[in-house]
Amino acid sequence: MTALARRAFQPGELRRRAAAGDVKLWASLLILVWAAVFMIWQGLGFAISIGSVFAIWAILAVSLNLVVGYAGLLSVGHIGFFGIGAYAAAILTSNASYEQLRTEAIPTFAWPFFAALPVSIALVGVAAVVVGVVLNRFRDDIYVLVSFGFAIIAFNVFLNGRGLTRGAFGVHQIARPAIGGWELTGELEFLILLLVFLALTVAVSWLIVTSSFGRVLTAIREDEQAIEVFGYRATHYKLAIWVISAMLAGLAGALFASWTSFIDPNSFILLESVLLVSIVILGGLASIWGSLLGAMAFVLLEEGMRFLPFLPAEYVGQARQAVLGILLVLLMLFRPQGLVGRYRL
Amino acid sequence: MKSWLGKRMAATGLLVLLMLAVAACGEQGPLRVGVMQSVTGPGESYGTVIVQAMEMAVDQINEAGGVDGRMLEIIVEDTKCGAQDAITAYNKLTDVNGVKIILGTTCSGAMLGAAPLAERDGVVLFSASATNPDISEAGDYIFRTAINDLQLGTDMGNLIWSDGVRNLATITESTDYAEGVRRTSVAQFESLGGTIAAEERFASDTTDFRSQLEKLLNANPDGLLVSVQGEFSGGTILKQVRELGYDGPIFGESVTAGTQALEVAGDAATGLKSVLPDLDPGNQSAQQFLADFRERYGYVTLPWFLGSAYDDVFITAECLSQTGDDQDADGFRDCLYGITWSGTIGDDYGFDDKGEVIGLSNAVVQVLPTDERTEENNGYKVLGGIPST
Repeated sequence: MTALARRAFQPGELRRRAAAGDVKLWASLLILVWAAVFMIWQGLGFAISIGSVFAIWAILAVSLNLVVGYAGLLSVGHIGFFGIGAYAAAILTSNASYEQLRTEAIPTFAWPFFAALPVSIALVGVAAVVVGVVLNRFRDDIYVLVSFGFAIIAFNVFLNGRGLTRGAFGVHQIARPAIGGWELTGELEFLILLLVFLALTVAVSWLIVTSSFGRVLTAIREDEQAIEVFGYRATHYKLAIWVISAMLAGLAGALFASWTSFIDPNSFILLESVLLVSIVILGGLASIWGSLLGAMAFVLLEEGMRFLPFLPAEYVGQARQAVLGILLVLLMLFRPQGLVGRYRL
Repeated sequence: MKSWLGKRMAATGLLVLLMLAVAACGEQGPLRVGVMQSVTGPGESYGTVIVQAMEMAVDQINEAGGVDGRMLEIIVEDTKCGAQDAITAYNKLTDVNGVKIILGTTCSGAMLGAAPLAERDGVVLFSASATNPDISEAGDYIFRTAINDLQLGTDMGNLIWSDGVRNLATITESTDYAEGVRRTSVAQFESLGGTIAAEERFASDTTDFRSQLEKLLNANPDGLLVSVQGEFSGGTILKQVRELGYDGPIFGESVTAGTQALEVAGDAATGLKSVLPDLDPGNQSAQQFLADFRERYGYVTLPWFLGSAYDDVFITAECLSQTGDDQDADGFRDCLYGITWSGTIGDDYGFDDKGEVIGLSNAVVQVLPTDERTEENNGYKVLGGIPST
């Protein structure tokens, strides 16, 4: 393993900090392990469902970290690609049973999930090229604003493209993947599938960031003009990582649609994008391991709040959100570089 | 002396412990039911008050001795009005808390996300407020006391036509509920011979509707249908359309005639006609319920949905009394199919073979001038049933 590869995944960094007695890191890891054990102890079925949520958010976080962490491009539009992937998979796998529903019909293709998946990812790739070409014209604050605009546009397309997405009614009965005649209807089987795709995402990302391509990206992050002096076309590199990252988000979207079996535009609101950026920062910029930790911390925190025992029933939900917000603020206050990150935003 | 006192105290303590142990052996644990509502997120205004109505019902049942002597206990989880959180909330309730009966959800999206799991596991989902027509196909364990949007839309179309409107403009919030109402209302209105002059839609976070309303008014409609999910949007639309000089008839569903909407709209809401499931002013239990709710929480909003949630808890208690077991979802389901209930939202209602409520109907109401609006009349007078066409 090269030094760069070790830095990307950072087990060495973890070991170094652990050996140096980094109390905050130990405390963070201990809390995460304790929370995971607590969830499994509470109930295996519940743990499986939050494991699935974790896997989906982890794919999203790792993919976004390629853009935000490694290339230094702060995008809050990632949820748009997640949504396009989800809708593409939902529509391509839809069958005539939708027609029996009494609300508006959408086109039906009845593809198997594993045929729809690569096409969905490719469609997201095409969309990402178009958006990326525009975004590449901007930098810094304006870049954030334009990516914000993309998230808004994507949401409105999902909401108002009723002939394709059924608008606010959402798409139901989205197919589960099938291997041969074996449909993955069980939650555990689906979790395993999600973890396989998460492992693939991590592997692809690791290969990217440890390659010479990844080194150029990190250099762009440090000084874009300097790297252009050496003859690298920074815009090409930025566009390439943007498209790869978007396609991975599309993969997460397709898996999400199949897992929930129902999607509507509310699943792809801007707030989700902001939460996703928070996860990436919480875990640590430019660290794949950090994104995995960040996603796990976020999901465990959010779902762990369900066990707050001392509140009146009608305030449980609100308190859950408030406590989650306070915890995120505290984490950022005491670990602004994230759990295992190298950079601050 | 001290030693003697110590022995006395120890003996008394032991006796108390023994008595408690004997009492515990003779007493069964509480009957536990899950509650999945949107207490945060887009459906928050419904979910929060629904949970309050349910808590009040549970307290009343327990104060009156519980269900055959056993306390009723609800465990509330938030769905944030979305499928993902509905799934994790469902898994938490069924797997961690082990419940087999769930009162929820608030929003149709969450219901459609959780329904396949409930159907697979044989868990009853029983909603007070999810109105999407597709829920009727969701399965054998899925029930609701909320009236299907199809019925509301058909009634609305009939009302608009019978009021002499022939050229209708619509403004609709882009949510499944509001879209559903618009779609079915327009379909019924058009089937009777009406035409649509213009249509506008807006996203839920919109606060200024003037440009869209101007476009609608430019088409010279002789009636306006307002279909919204949020009361603030409904009230603002009423206010702004009157400010633009429109003086024709306005029609809306229950949200547009909600307490908060009428407050926002002020006098601009006067004359608004609405089709809604209404709590009958002559129904003693409904009026008692509203008085109790107002006393406990200091306000009443969305009275019909409150009543629906309140009734759901009492229906649940009745079915738990019949089955005697909160783990018997099949028995509970069969009880719901067979039940005929009289409560706050109506008399002698029940459920059809798709779990849809039957025996309830909508009413036509008209909003009163501001000086005649009171807490008791909710700001409107009931004109009667739906006119025939």
